[in-house]
Amino acid sequence: MNKRMHFSLQDALFIGFCATLLVALKSMLRLKLGLSGHSMFLMTFFYLICYGVVGRLGAITACGLLSGVVAMILSIGKGGPLILVKFALPALAMDLSLIVLLGLFTLRWRCITVGLVGCLAWAVKGWVEDLLLGMTMQVALVQFGLSMLKGGAFTVLAASLVPPVLERLRSHDLLGDNLKSKGKI
Amino acid sequence: MWAKGGKHGFGASEKLATRKSGRLRAYVTAISLLLVLVLSSSAFFVSDTYLPVLCIFSGILVLHGLLLRGNISVIGRVFMVQLVITMSLYYLLHGQSQMAQGMIVVLRILLAFIPGWWLSVSTTPEKIAQVLTWVLPAKWAFVIGASIGLLPFMTRELREIYQVQCLRGARITPKALRDPRNWQELMTCVVFPLLIQLLKLSRQMAIAAQLRYYGKTNKPTHWQE
Repeated sequence: MNKRMHFSLQDALFIGFCATLLVALKSMLRLKLGLSGHSMFLMTFFYLICYGVVGRLGAITACGLLSGVVAMILSIGKGGPLILVKFALPALAMDLSLIVLLGLFTLRWRCITVGLVGCLAWAVKGWVEDLLLGMTMQVALVQFGLSMLKGGAFTVLAASLVPPVLERLRSHDLLGDNLKSKGKI
Repeated sequence: MWAKGGKHGFGASEKLATRKSGRLRAYVTAISLLLVLVLSSSAFFVSDTYLPVLCIFSGILVLHGLLLRGNISVIGRVFMVQLVITMSLYYLLHGQSQMAQGMIVVLRILLAFIPGWWLSVSTTPEKIAQVLTWVLPAKWAFVIGASIGLLPFMTRELREIYQVQCLRGARITPKALRDPRNWQELMTCVVFPLLIQLLKLSRQMAIAAQLRYYGKTNKPTHWQE
């Protein structure tokens, strides 16, 4: 969280609230659904909402890092302090992809592409973990493919829900403060 | 006068002792965090020959967790899910020849999970938050503290919005949500009003903090308990 992540207090608080809500909802849904990959739905949705509302690069990474820290504090998910990587890695990948995609595509397709990049990072993290655990390459690749398939479906669903929500927030004049000055999105 | 002075002296020493014990507990939490990090990482990196040593450590953590009345069924559930998925894949792809290797993989997953479970049983969230403020900038520590503090408020808001929308006939009941076509309605009816609330809340909190001179100095002060 260096100087590049120098957000106003209001933006930082909004990112923090989104991160906390993401972790809380994830813990609730894990009990109800028991589906692997559903975490990408919530991650993609809240990360992209953060980017849309705050309107600057670094917002997704900040949200990812905060989600990891909050999950660690609330002891949600497996892996103890390693949970930080689970949340932060897709966020970082999404932010990095935004550098390339900033002026390209319509908002809807940009959200979907950025979400899928995050999903890829999430699946790659799982694949590397599986290999480190000693899984054979074939089994690890099948697990990677399944993660990508399930996570990808949830990601596309979540990413396609973001533009209408942002549009409605803008029509209620709730995004004005952030985006008028920066001209993002 | 003497009695008053004595009383004051006792209060100060008591406060000092409390502060010392608080600091000691924070150090214990920091060591626990490091231990969990090392043990979880070891499950990925150590060779098979050292796995029994890791099993002994994890066994001790499980026993300690049980003594603290932790819920062991979580570990059982993780073990069963991993066992079914991983072993099925091993059987389908390799036949019976590499089932032992599959079992070792499942064991490693379990060994990576146990330290995190133990941390959740043995350490309170406040203590972990206190330790994290040693490494996080003051602003982000404030944000994390405020977010966790307001979590009950956020969940109450979420529940209220959900119940009101259900009463209005929105197709967002648990049964209706089995159909993914209704997820859009959940977003419009529940998540959208919630986001508006969060935006309002963040604006109000930021104004309230700045009115209390938040951000004027690099080292913020705190209310004394």
